[in-house]
Formats: sequence, C-alpha cells, structure tokens
Amino acid sequence: MSDKNKTIQEKMAELQALVNWFQGEDFTLEEAVGKFSGAEKLAETIEKDLSELKNDITVIKQRFDVEA
Amino acid sequence: MDDVLLSVSDFVSLTNQTLEYAYPSVAVVGEVSEYRISQGKWVSFKLKDAGAVISCFAGVYQLRTPLEDGMKVVVVAAPRLNPKGYFNLNVRSVKLVGEGSIKKGFELLKAKLEAEGLFAPERKRPLPRIPQRVALVTSTESAAYADFTRILNERWGGLKLEVAHTQVQGEPAADQMIRAIQYFNQQEVPADVLVIIRGGGSAEDLSTFNDEPLARAIAASRIPTLVGVGHEIDHSLADMVADVRAATPTHAAETLVPDRAEIIRAVRQQAHSAGQLLLQSVQQYRERVREQLEGIERRVDDQMARAEALLLSTRSLLAELNPMKVLARGYAVVRGDPKVGSEIMIETEKQHITAEVTDVRQK
Repeated sequence: MSDKNKTIQEKMAELQALVNWFQGEDFTLEEAVGKFSGAEKLAETIEKDLSELKNDITVIKQRFDVEA
Repeated sequence: MDDVLLSVSDFVSLTNQTLEYAYPSVAVVGEVSEYRISQGKWVSFKLKDAGAVISCFAGVYQLRTPLEDGMKVVVVAAPRLNPKGYFNLNVRSVKLVGEGSIKKGFELLKAKLEAEGLFAPERKRPLPRIPQRVALVTSTESAAYADFTRILNERWGGLKLEVAHTQVQGEPAADQMIRAIQYFNQQEVPADVLVIIRGGGSAEDLSTFNDEPLARAIAASRIPTLVGVGHEIDHSLADMVADVRAATPTHAAETLVPDRAEIIRAVRQQAHSAGQLLLQSVQQYRERVREQLEGIERRVDDQMARAEALLLSTRSLLAELNPMKVLARGYAVVRGDPKVGSEIMIETEKQHITAEVTDVRQK
C-alpha cells in the first residue's frame, strides 16, 4: 500500500512501530539514522493529514417517520 | 329510532359504528387499578378517577412501559361496546403522567432490564479509539446535532458520518429511532460506532429514552453504541444499555474522537523520542568504543611495564656477569698455556702482566 492510501490510523501505527524498533533487539546504529528520518517524515505527514482532513457528513435520505 | 327494531347484535354493531365515527381515538387520563396480564399476551386494567371507572384492554406489545396499580396514565384508545355488553377502551398506547408515575415506571423497567443483564458491564463493548465510519441518530434540527458536529469537526477529520434524522421527543420518536437503529444495523458494511444524541429537556421530553423497545433496540445493536442524552445529571435507560454513556451530546463528540491537537502533540513526541533513542544509542556506542580503547590502552601499558621490568632485571643480571666487575673485586684473568717455561698473560683490573710459568701442580 502506498503512503497516500494509508489511513491516519495506519500511519500512526507505523510510527509507533518505528519508535518500538528503536527500543527493540533489532536495533542497529547503521539502520537507525534512516529509520529516524522515516519517523520524522511520517510524523510530519500525520500532522499535515490531521490538520487538513475534513469530516464527510451525510444526512441519509431514508425516512424514519413511516415504516419501511 | 324507536320505529326501527334492532337485534341486540345489530345494536352493538350500530353503537360501535357510532363510537368509531364520533370518537375514533380518545385520550383519557386516570389511575390504573386491577392491572392483570393473561397468557402473557393480553393486558387488562381499570382506569379510574374519583367519580368513574372504565375497563381497558391491550396487547402486551402495545405497552412500552411496565404498569402497576396506582400509576397515573394517559390512555390513547378506541371506545368499544363488546358483544357481552361491557363497555371498554381498546388501548393503542399508554403513557405515564405525573412525576411519581414516570419515576415508578422508570424504576420498574430498569429493574426488569437489569434482571435480564442488559446493563451488565461484561456486555459493554469498547469503542474504537479512532472510528472511521459513524452512524448518528438524532434530530438534525436540534442544537444537540449542531453542537455534536461542531465539536466533531474541531477535534477530528477524515471521518465519514451518516446521520439519520428522527424525532427525539414525543410519541413517534422512539419508533423512529428504532427504525434508524435497525437501518444502520442492516447495512452490509456496518459503521464502527452508532451514536444517539439529544439535548437537555424536561423529564417528559427525555422520557422517550426510557422506552422499553428503544432500550432493547440499542442493547441488540451489533454496532457498538454511544448514547449522549440530556444533561449530565440525566440518566435514561438508553444510556444504561448503551456500550458507552456520554453525559451530553458535546461529551459524546469528545468521547467519540480524539482531539487532533493532542494527537499531533503525541506524534511529535513520538518522533522526538525516536531521536532521543537514537542519540542515546550513539552515546552508548561511543561509551562502549571508549571503554574498549581504554581497555586496549591498559593492556598495552601492562605489556610495556612488564617488558621494561624484564629488561631492567636482565640488564642488572648482565651487569652482574660483566668480567670487569670480577676484576674489580681483585680477581685476574690468566691467558696462555699453563706449562712450566711457557709465557702467560695476566689481566687485572688495571694491568696486563706477562709472566713465565715456573711451577705447575695439580690441586
């Protein structure tokens, strides 16, 4: 899935996984700089998404004042 | 009409036709007495006041609240003369009136639903932390709806909210809300959360949310439910059966979604903590390398010291073995063939002497 198609929740889970990686056993200094850079970019994307996204509100046409 | 001869059956039919024409539906207020349920299906009671009494009949399904003798009610009914000659009211709906009756009805229904386990904590389902699809049942003309959507938009984005507009007070409200709940529950892809909201009002306005079928519809929802009705002090049966209760519609919006400002802060903190962890790790690596270098340095120093000590002791031993040091102690080195008549060389600390051997004896 490309980054564009990911939901905010998925991006937040990805960021959490990156942070966990820094505390886990797979941590290597060689990879850490790249991972940190990825975490920073992801945080910026999430912040941008959160600031820009609007809610989609629809009042459904179905009437409930009469039995269907 | 005394010139028309009617059979008893005709008279009863004619009376009922007249009643139906004149009073298709009447609302009568009175006190319940002699309340009975037959075969679990039929309800009968007397409705009385200080001066009169009338029999009432209903199906159990028509009662939306438990009744008890002494309760004050408004009965909406059709007056009928039955073939056995008894006049009664065929009940369409019963509504509790008066604070005492409303409270009593609430307590009776609450006890009934509680006994069925509908309020049990183990039934409560958690709401997703960040829902993506939300179904809302409310009046879109209400202030509660305006407050709810305003708070929702302030706090969060990217949410798909479907709204079912229904009445939220008055007699048709409960059935409308039940239909809306059923509509959302029948969707192929159900919403993540079903929200029901209504602003504050009088006890009578809010009594819709103490309706038994509505409470059961909320309890039966396959979509987790969030109910925010009235003010903080108001408690309805709809609240109690819901998976999550919000004190007000505004609180429902706050409960439903996180605050984006808080999430942004948390996300920044996460990225910052990754940076901190990276710096810590670099520091730890540096410490480890420094310790290793110090270890190497210590080992080199040890080896050097050991080599220096060895050299020193060897030099001192060599110094002890120096022949000049023996000569200095008064000894001499004799070179040549030690035979009588031979010439030999004698070396002392300070002299070289040539001598002739005059005598040789074995020791």
